[in-house]
Amino acid sequence: MGGLVNRQGGIVNIGLEPMMLVGAFTAVVVSAQSGNPFLGVLAATVAGALLGLLFSWSITRLGANEIVAGLGLNLLVLGFFGYLLPTAFKIEGTLLPAGLVGLPKVEIPLVNQIPGLGPILSGHDILTYLSWLSVPLVSVFLYRTPLGIELRATGANEEAARAAGVPTLRLRDFSTVVAGAFSGLAGAQLSLGVVTLFNKQMTGGRGFIALAAFYFGDARPALTALGAVIFGVFEAAGFRLGSSGVPSQLVQMLPYLVVVISLTLVAVRRELRVRERARAAAA
Amino acid sequence: MTMSNRLRLSTILPAIALILVSCGGTTSGGTASSVSAATFGSKEPSFKPMCTPAAGKQFKVALIIAQGGLGDQSYNDLAYSGFQRAKTDFSVVGRVIQSADIVSQGQAIVQQAGQANFDLVIDLEFSTYDAVKAAAPSFPNTQWMTPNFTSLAANDTGYLFNEQDGSYLAGALAAQVTQDSKVPGITPSKVIGVIGGVKAVGIDKFLVGYAQGARDIDPSVKVLVNYSNGFGDPAKGKQLADAMFSQGANVVYQVAGGTGTGVIQAAQSANKYAIGVDSDQDAIAPGHVLTSMIKRTDFAVYDSINRLACGKLKGGETINLGLKEGAVGLSQMKFTRNAIPSKYLDKVADLQQKIIDGKIKVWNTITQGTPSWFTS
Repeated sequence: MGGLVNRQGGIVNIGLEPMMLVGAFTAVVVSAQSGNPFLGVLAATVAGALLGLLFSWSITRLGANEIVAGLGLNLLVLGFFGYLLPTAFKIEGTLLPAGLVGLPKVEIPLVNQIPGLGPILSGHDILTYLSWLSVPLVSVFLYRTPLGIELRATGANEEAARAAGVPTLRLRDFSTVVAGAFSGLAGAQLSLGVVTLFNKQMTGGRGFIALAAFYFGDARPALTALGAVIFGVFEAAGFRLGSSGVPSQLVQMLPYLVVVISLTLVAVRRELRVRERARAAAA
Repeated sequence: MTMSNRLRLSTILPAIALILVSCGGTTSGGTASSVSAATFGSKEPSFKPMCTPAAGKQFKVALIIAQGGLGDQSYNDLAYSGFQRAKTDFSVVGRVIQSADIVSQGQAIVQQAGQANFDLVIDLEFSTYDAVKAAAPSFPNTQWMTPNFTSLAANDTGYLFNEQDGSYLAGALAAQVTQDSKVPGITPSKVIGVIGGVKAVGIDKFLVGYAQGARDIDPSVKVLVNYSNGFGDPAKGKQLADAMFSQGANVVYQVAGGTGTGVIQAAQSANKYAIGVDSDQDAIAPGHVLTSMIKRTDFAVYDSINRLACGKLKGGETINLGLKEGAVGLSQMKFTRNAIPSKYLDKVADLQQKIIDGKIKVWNTITQGTPSWFTS
């Protein structure tokens, strides 16, 4: 959802992955120091947002290419952890500090009794629920609030928006900060929700899957969420197929294959629509 | 996203040169935490000098630390503790060589170690073995030691561990425990699982041994096999293990490095069992790591220095270490021992003796390939 807001604001953010990683790390360190996982989540959000702001400034103020800056951020963050972990924490693999507390799982009364659906809908950490909630919230924000509409205008045509008096630079910064905050949350969910540890490879391409999801959904919240669910389903199916005799490399490729196929379909559909419109205009 | 992190790192940190620490005979500089690695049932490996070392002669020994570095609570720390032990028993001037990026710096480090006139260079980093193979003949006065690999040169001694034997015992224990509702957290089933880091013979050696141990206990036990295709993604390890638990497995063996920590955490949150690997991982989630398949790298390191000091390190040979030497085996199960019915442990001890006596031959994928009954 964060990347989506960013995209609507006109920035293709390939820095989601390192922002997640920073979030995951911050969450672990702060949670371990304070003994409170929620403080860890808060710190992860702030860290992601700050990184987003820096990233955005390099693009909006210094005129850096968003892809180059994004690639740079990927390399920078990985290199940073490659240096920090052995020097400051004397480890290179997994960071598992003493006193680290993970996020509690929340059971929703009644819902968890529904046969079949119960374990799917209930028993997650709070960030998972928050991610679901973010879909309608982001949708309302983008389409029903003045700020959201201005943001979309900025993304659609920055010069026209600026001419209309919209503070486009600040809006683009804002959208990247949102992307950073959401990525930080996603990282915290990985390092405090899914598992309770930090590892510099732990995001494992998930930030890029998010990128594919909002491309799939054409940067619209509901469709993007659908894309994310489809990828998730294929990933889970892959995990099960892998232990029933199908080569694991093949099945774990499934979500990525689905990304390629779906993006192709999206492009074909758009192309057809453009041609149709051209034909209608000509007629 | 497909670019390996190692590659990305090497583009970013080319200037971080090797760091040489711990010079001289003092014990300073090491950050290794103590790693407990006593094995179940079998005796401690014999950390005893083979001879009365001749007085006056000092040996210069280098230890090249592998990826993960000191403080990994696993492979490196274990090897380092064997190194320390040898330094107290023999007249050895030791030097630890650590690099921030051993993989890209490997060639230079090996070359420099060769030029430094050591009597023995122990190289823990697998990825530098091509460099060792190329460099060793140019330094005939230096003996080399390469654990987990066969001898690379006339002056290199390889050390191989029979991990398949220890894995066999892990599989035998898992296949018994998974069927017993009296063990806490077990929903009786004939399903166990194993997660490998990558599909390769070196990893399948563990997996096949585990499956064979389970088969010999009960052929109807199903062994779910999956690979994480990476050693650093604990979230994936957790998801893979969760999928196995939901398919009825009660015990999942991890052979996947950092990914495996996720497997252990999955066992903890599902109230099931994981089996650790390489070092004693029982304490990572007390009560939820059934046992750990331990590999005594410390003993291999000690043994090579022992041979050096006694003039028995010839080079050109490969030394096999297994259950008999106490160099592989199951952990002491400090946290789970009381929960496991003793007849299962007795059975495991019995199988261990049979392997030592040669009555059971455990499949070795390195020399024998993949058996037809093993599907992954």
